[in-house]
Amino acid sequence: MNMINKKANIVLWLMLIVFLAFFPKLFGIYYTNMVVTFAIFSVFATSLNMLMGYTGLLSFGHAMFFGFGGYGTALALKHIEGLGIFPAIGFGMLAAVVLALVLTPIMVRVTGTAFAMLNMAFAQLMYVLALKLYTITGGEDGIANFPIPGIFTESLRNSSDHFYYLAMIILGLCMWLMWFFTKTPFGQIQVGIRDNAKRVDYLGYKVPQSKAVVYILSAAFAGIAGSFYGLFHNMVSADGSLGMGMSFMPIIMIMIGGIGSFLGPMTGVAIFQLIDEFILRYTESSELVMGATLILVVVFMPMGFMGLFSMLKSKWKARFTGNAKMEKAS
Amino acid sequence: MDPTTVMYVSQGLQGLAYGMILFLIASGLNIIFGMMGILNMAHAAFFMLGAYICYQIVAMTGSFWLGFLFAPIVTAALGVLMQQLFLRKAHVLGHFGELILTMGIASVIVAAIKKFWGTQNLPLSMPDSLNGMVSIVGISYPAYRLFVIGLALVVLVLMMLLLYRTRLGKIVRAAVSDREMVNALGININLVFMLVFGGGIWLAGLAGVAIAPILTVFPGLADQVGMDAFIVVVTGGFGSLVGAFIVSIIFGLLSSYGVQFLSNFAPVLMVCFMAIVLVIRPNGLFGVKE
Repeated sequence: MNMINKKANIVLWLMLIVFLAFFPKLFGIYYTNMVVTFAIFSVFATSLNMLMGYTGLLSFGHAMFFGFGGYGTALALKHIEGLGIFPAIGFGMLAAVVLALVLTPIMVRVTGTAFAMLNMAFAQLMYVLALKLYTITGGEDGIANFPIPGIFTESLRNSSDHFYYLAMIILGLCMWLMWFFTKTPFGQIQVGIRDNAKRVDYLGYKVPQSKAVVYILSAAFAGIAGSFYGLFHNMVSADGSLGMGMSFMPIIMIMIGGIGSFLGPMTGVAIFQLIDEFILRYTESSELVMGATLILVVVFMPMGFMGLFSMLKSKWKARFTGNAKMEKAS
Repeated sequence: MDPTTVMYVSQGLQGLAYGMILFLIASGLNIIFGMMGILNMAHAAFFMLGAYICYQIVAMTGSFWLGFLFAPIVTAALGVLMQQLFLRKAHVLGHFGELILTMGIASVIVAAIKKFWGTQNLPLSMPDSLNGMVSIVGISYPAYRLFVIGLALVVLVLMMLLLYRTRLGKIVRAAVSDREMVNALGININLVFMLVFGGGIWLAGLAGVAIAPILTVFPGLADQVGMDAFIVVVTGGFGSLVGAFIVSIIFGLLSSYGVQFLSNFAPVLMVCFMAIVLVIRPNGLFGVKE
């Protein structure tokens, strides 16, 4: 049984990879770009879920890391000649990590609403700084038209297909790393801190230090997402990637998808995009559709779509095993 | 008095009036947040709804005072409806569920407002009796703003009396610290929370009515004031009315003097103040350590 499952798994993964490899050829540029956006926000939302779902820390200011990633990459590409694409993304990540490092001494001391609001305060501060320091950040215009390095080879520049492949590689890599992290003993301690910080403390683990590490890791992945977002649009701006809406969007995505489950945020991003697409085509009242969706999700699917999915799965399993037992009995 | 002093004083009064409106919203948010533990993101939307309902009543009857009286009540009724229909279900899930639910309700309210009243600015004239200038020690000042300051003071005193001097206040405070025990004593806890929630939304509606003649009514009203009120509650300390009152005044003054002296960074003065307070006292200025 196990062997078959393993083989089936490998086949499924291979099929997925082949499908993704041919996706741009099959569906055209519009849907390809949609998948790139999906990849960016999946990494962003999952990075926040590391804080929210696994450590229980709600942040109202995660956009600052996303924005720092974007600005870091944009500034690096603007000022350093001939920078490659991966070092450029590295600069974005580094910017977010540095910001997180500066903030950790404050952040590890607080929990709950104070944590959420302190993050919001610093995010707002960064937003205003980005607007006011226009000699560096370009103010309200942001930084646009910075040079984009060739993505795999120097000749493949600005082609949307290649952005897609790069996005898939980044998505795969980041998701794998974050998944790996939640499975390590250290990731398990995080869940412990969420459920009972005192007990984890008594067991001899250092709560503030572990929180700090998760905070910085979460910032790093958000930075990568923001950096790629900036590259994809060839523009970063305060309103586009540092605003308050950008902080609340991943929270909503996580809640729609399912908090605490690893694939929840990704599911949420996909559903969020479907809703966006629906709004774009059929209605003018985006607030109504969004609001109604949120209400329905909370009232009928408290654990989000992933929660609904796992509930249906366990129901189906129960029925299946129940039938099997009955067959045995007869 | 020389003109600069006059300018500073009137600037200060301006800030005070804004602070008082912040306090009216924040006090409602505070009793809901501090006493029921609900992060009510829809509070600002109800505040805006109050302003719109008042506009509608004034447009229909021509009397500001009728709107002043009934708009907050209608708003509170809608708030209680929301609480009974949805929020009670979300409470089981804890803060995240409530947060998302109230965000959803806020955006439905904004959508409804845009549908019924459109997106343009709707003017609301203040009542004739308050439409003049009052002169205090040589400085003339709009009477309506003085009325708002007075209103906030009355609300503060009434709420303090209600919470700390009546049996109902005692029950509410007891329900906050141990709801199951209060329930076991034969008090209908659901009814108590319904009252608290209704009261909080009533205050939001009242603030909406109070601000409508100053700022005109438009769909962006909630964004402008909502976050500020939230920051006031967090900075002042959950459940602390005095904290909310003092912080409201500080923020009102910060916003009016900030525009004058530090115009570049006026938008973040409040959040900076909040950040400093939270770093030193994570539960807010007057918050009790849990």
